[in-house]
Amino acid sequence: MSAEFDPNAIQGNIVRGYGIHHVRYLMLEVTDRKAAREFLVASLNGENPNVPIIQRETEWEENPEVCFNISLTFPGLQALGVSKKNLATFPIEFRDGMASRALKIGDFGDSAPTKWAPPFDEPDRIHLIASIYSDSEEHLDKVQTQVAEAFNILGTRDGRDLAKSKVVFGYVDSISQPKFKGIHDKSQNKNDELLDPLGTILLGYPTRMEGVYFGIPSPSELGFNGSFNAFRVLSQDASGFENFLTEAAEFLLKHPNLKDVLPPGGARQVGKGFSRKTALREIVAAQIVGRWRNGVPYELSPDTMEPDPKVSLTNFDYNRNSRCPVGAHMRRCNPRGGPIVQRVANLTRRIVRRGMSYGPDFDPKNPDDRERGLLGNFLGANLGAQFEAVMYDWLNLGLQHPDITGSNDPLLGANSVDTSWFDMTTRTGGKIRLHGLPRFVVCRGGAYTFLPSIAAINYLSQLKN
Amino acid sequence: MTTNSDKAVAKEMVDIMHRPDGDPKLRPIHTNGIGVTGFFKASETAAEYSNSEPFQGNKIPVTIRFSNASGNKTRHDGWSDIRGMATRFHLNGPQDFDLIAMTLQEFFTPDVPSTLEFLKAARPTPYHSATPLQKIRDYLSLKVPKRNRYPHEDLSPDDGGKKYANKHKFAQLPIFQTASIGAPVSYARAAYHAVHTFIITAPNGKRNWVRFTWQPVAGVRPRPIGPDNKPDDDYLNQEIRDRLSDRETARFTLMMSLGEQEDEVNNCTKPWPLHRTRIVMGMLTLNHVLDAKAQESKIEKMSYNPCLLPEGIEPSDDPILHIRRTAYEISSKERHANRCPFAGGQ
Amino acid sequence: MSNEESWFGRFVDTLPTKGWFKFLSKYVVTPYWLWKDPKPKLPGGPRVSSQPSDNVQRMMNLIMPLKDPSEIGKARAVMAIAQNVDEIFGGLDNVGTVHFARFVILGDKLCMISVYDGDFSNYIRDFIVTVGSVFDAIMAEIEGGSALIPTEQNVEAFIEWVHEHDLFQAPDFPTELFTLQDQAKGIGPDGPVHDLSTLPRNLVLQFHSNPDISLGGGYRAYPGFSAAQIREKLGVGW
Ligand code: HEM
Ligand code: HEM
Repeated sequence: MSAEFDPNAIQGNIVRGYGIHHVRYLMLEVTDRKAAREFLVASLNGENPNVPIIQRETEWEENPEVCFNISLTFPGLQALGVSKKNLATFPIEFRDGMASRALKIGDFGDSAPTKWAPPFDEPDRIHLIASIYSDSEEHLDKVQTQVAEAFNILGTRDGRDLAKSKVVFGYVDSISQPKFKGIHDKSQNKNDELLDPLGTILLGYPTRMEGVYFGIPSPSELGFNGSFNAFRVLSQDASGFENFLTEAAEFLLKHPNLKDVLPPGGARQVGKGFSRKTALREIVAAQIVGRWRNGVPYELSPDTMEPDPKVSLTNFDYNRNSRCPVGAHMRRCNPRGGPIVQRVANLTRRIVRRGMSYGPDFDPKNPDDRERGLLGNFLGANLGAQFEAVMYDWLNLGLQHPDITGSNDPLLGANSVDTSWFDMTTRTGGKIRLHGLPRFVVCRGGAYTFLPSIAAINYLSQLKN
Repeated sequence: MTTNSDKAVAKEMVDIMHRPDGDPKLRPIHTNGIGVTGFFKASETAAEYSNSEPFQGNKIPVTIRFSNASGNKTRHDGWSDIRGMATRFHLNGPQDFDLIAMTLQEFFTPDVPSTLEFLKAARPTPYHSATPLQKIRDYLSLKVPKRNRYPHEDLSPDDGGKKYANKHKFAQLPIFQTASIGAPVSYARAAYHAVHTFIITAPNGKRNWVRFTWQPVAGVRPRPIGPDNKPDDDYLNQEIRDRLSDRETARFTLMMSLGEQEDEVNNCTKPWPLHRTRIVMGMLTLNHVLDAKAQESKIEKMSYNPCLLPEGIEPSDDPILHIRRTAYEISSKERHANRCPFAGGQ
Repeated sequence: MSNEESWFGRFVDTLPTKGWFKFLSKYVVTPYWLWKDPKPKLPGGPRVSSQPSDNVQRMMNLIMPLKDPSEIGKARAVMAIAQNVDEIFGGLDNVGTVHFARFVILGDKLCMISVYDGDFSNYIRDFIVTVGSVFDAIMAEIEGGSALIPTEQNVEAFIEWVHEHDLFQAPDFPTELFTLQDQAKGIGPDGPVHDLSTLPRNLVLQFHSNPDISLGGGYRAYPGFSAAQIREKLGVGW
């Protein structure tokens, strides 16, 4: 089943990111099957100047000006005419679709699919999600116009990288990523975490789970080299988050064990020119994610966000005495080699993240409540074994460690003020429990999509029924 | 705060509750009861969850009134009916603690308007037995026919409720369970649920949303109805007297379920899933049945109120819990009982 | 004279105990209603929930038809499991989310009954990873099982198969059956209200699609805690 990997056989932006700073997602409906198929033919052979070309996974010297890619939902495969028999070979999570799996991935209350923004409130009509990456608005518009010739555009979403690679809550993001055997990713040069087998992200290759292959949907032209994506529009309550940091800092200032978090006179060690309150806010922010907001890992530098000498951003592991809380966002999503209940699952539930922010900039000094957040793509070879496994058992519930079981991710868990809690670590090995975390991140829409290989796009374009 | 409109609604509720076969000088429902005393002792863990006086481990005297829920002034112990267990913890603090519980796990309606509607719809109606043909039709529809009427059962307690439940999903579970609730062999052999959510505070300030249930240590035991369908009318009072004679006791464990995120806190028609964490909060020991005189002067004149809560136990925002406060107060005044703990003093 | 007291009334009351009436109910009344009001099969296992105590100590009742239900076939199933004790402990000790598990042979079925924490598919998947060979040995004895061997290479299909054969757990609150039956037909919670008196019939009819069921989601002495939390509290490591 295993095969040599050929970068030209798959779409770009899967095993490596593009490094382009603007994206437009097009949510598409197939209203004319023939037109859709002709579009796919042209997008592969490049013979029609009015159809954008699918960007393949090839290494380039200079970034192309525009990268175009497609992904399909289950209704999309139906709409393009994939046979019933073959449709049934896709995994159940994908067949059900994101909206049907809502409860499992924490999409209830304000995140419930019934409250999703259009066009996500009609999940069965979303057939394809196409992405256009380009730093020029003109290119984005041009490609959109071309796509509109063949598909009904139900909606669009624009994303961009914020200044200094930050995301809406002010953290530097996209530092840790799986790094794959046999694939050279310049952005991950300094990362010396264990390499992940290709089967983590592509169908048809060995996975981290010994002997286990994820099922390849039939026919193999369609399934082989494919991948799955959980596309999520996640709104982030930036002022709520900043308010919580302030509340938590005020709570800590009054806490009898304050000195174990921040010794007298320790504020300036945390960050240049910090007051005690600012230092505490940043400590809380750092423990919530597992990185200081400037990206420095808490595990390697628990007492200051400006370690001297500098520390690696990626090369560390967790242990029983870690200063990075067990409940920190990035430790929950990737406990690395650290102690977890499901020992067999160490390093198996890796997720490739490709995301950009949407909405206006946020200025903590002039907070506002306009909608902003993350257009996130969470990729893997198996949605159930990776994205859902992480969402259901680890991000929410916290099954991986008895000390956090029953609590949700502090950053984006399905929290409610009345019941939520998060244990901070102290310098002396103790804990201080914070209560009252609201839900900072609300899902506004999304879809499970299949990222077809080049051969699969060809297969789809040639269907005859 | 009790508003005037609350008062009007509560008054209307109490008025509707009075049955033609009841007695205006007695409670409009839970009319027949018996008083028992004893003490409560909290478990060792209780104080970790609550800083309130009843849960600190001291021996607390209690006065309990067991009752049949019916508003019929004539006792019919053997008839299928909900039973009540109202417990007053006599505390040192300024406010006592009333924990009012019943054998049904949930209430019929989620808010005040639906309660009024329900009470009107569920007023007792003249008893109409199912005809043999109706029963045959039920068998052929794979339904369970209406139970046969008890001797002297002139009013049907649940026909109206059943009709109501066929229009309102929230009322289906309580109506279904009430229909088959039966009669216990003893007041001390039934489990009683306080139904509403209360909020307790732990010593470290953590608030917990909780529900209480009394579990009889002797076990729950319903009374089989004989083949002649002629249940005894009067055995429960004597049974509890016999049970507690010769220094014998009857005990109940107080179990507390911890609510979780998304649990229905303010909706008492929805019982919580059976596998919420249950905390053993303490043990109630009953050791004395009040004599006839005390029954008359003390128990029959007593005014329990579900909102009589000590410091550290707060009511949830359940609208039923809040309207009950006023309804019990009005009812107490109307039957000239001892001053309701809330009367006048707000 | 009231209805109950007439001879006819008393006769009607005893109908359900009469042999001929039982015969009629079984062979005419029930089939008629099944034709009139068929019930889709209800899915097995605990239902998805967002609440922590619903997601620990979850019950699996996996009921697998034996390929060969003869005495010899049963003995082979026993052997398949008995030869794999090390493997099973290897799984238990490393998956870490299982409280109890046991195998039972009942009639012509092999049952695996367990209590686990967390998501069902993670539970099965993690076990395939550690003890795939045990599942292979078991599936070899099960009707329709060969198609899933080796389970390591049929992970998704095997998980779906197990889910199919995990017993439907009847709701702990009886009237919820209406909701679940509606759901199976794609009717949401805002659908029409059922006539309460049809609840017994709805249960009877459901048995046609789910001949074996679990009565409720089980009872727990110390609900709300994961296996690892209990092990930690007891000081036996996790
Ligand atoms: C608005 C929502 C989110 C925000 C603001 C957010 C933020 C962050 C930040 C700041 C980091 C640290 C930077 C880095 O290591 O690259 C991080 C890491 C990570 N996040 Fe998120 N995240 C969000 C949603 C999610 C979701 C939904 C998932 C998964 C299902 C996820 C999975 C991860 C993973 C796997 C890592 C890397 C951990 C590691 O490998 O050590 N994130 N996230
Ligand atoms: C809106 C809903 C309800 C109303 C209006 C209501 C009203 C009343 C009234 C007026 C009385 C007589 C009080 C007196 O005269 O002292 C009473 C007694 C009682 N009620 Fe309720 N009730 C309601 C719900 C409940 C619930 C949910 C429970 C169970 C937890 C309950 C259990 C009892 C018991 C046990 C008694 C007898 C108390 C005693 O022995 O003195 N009631 N109710």
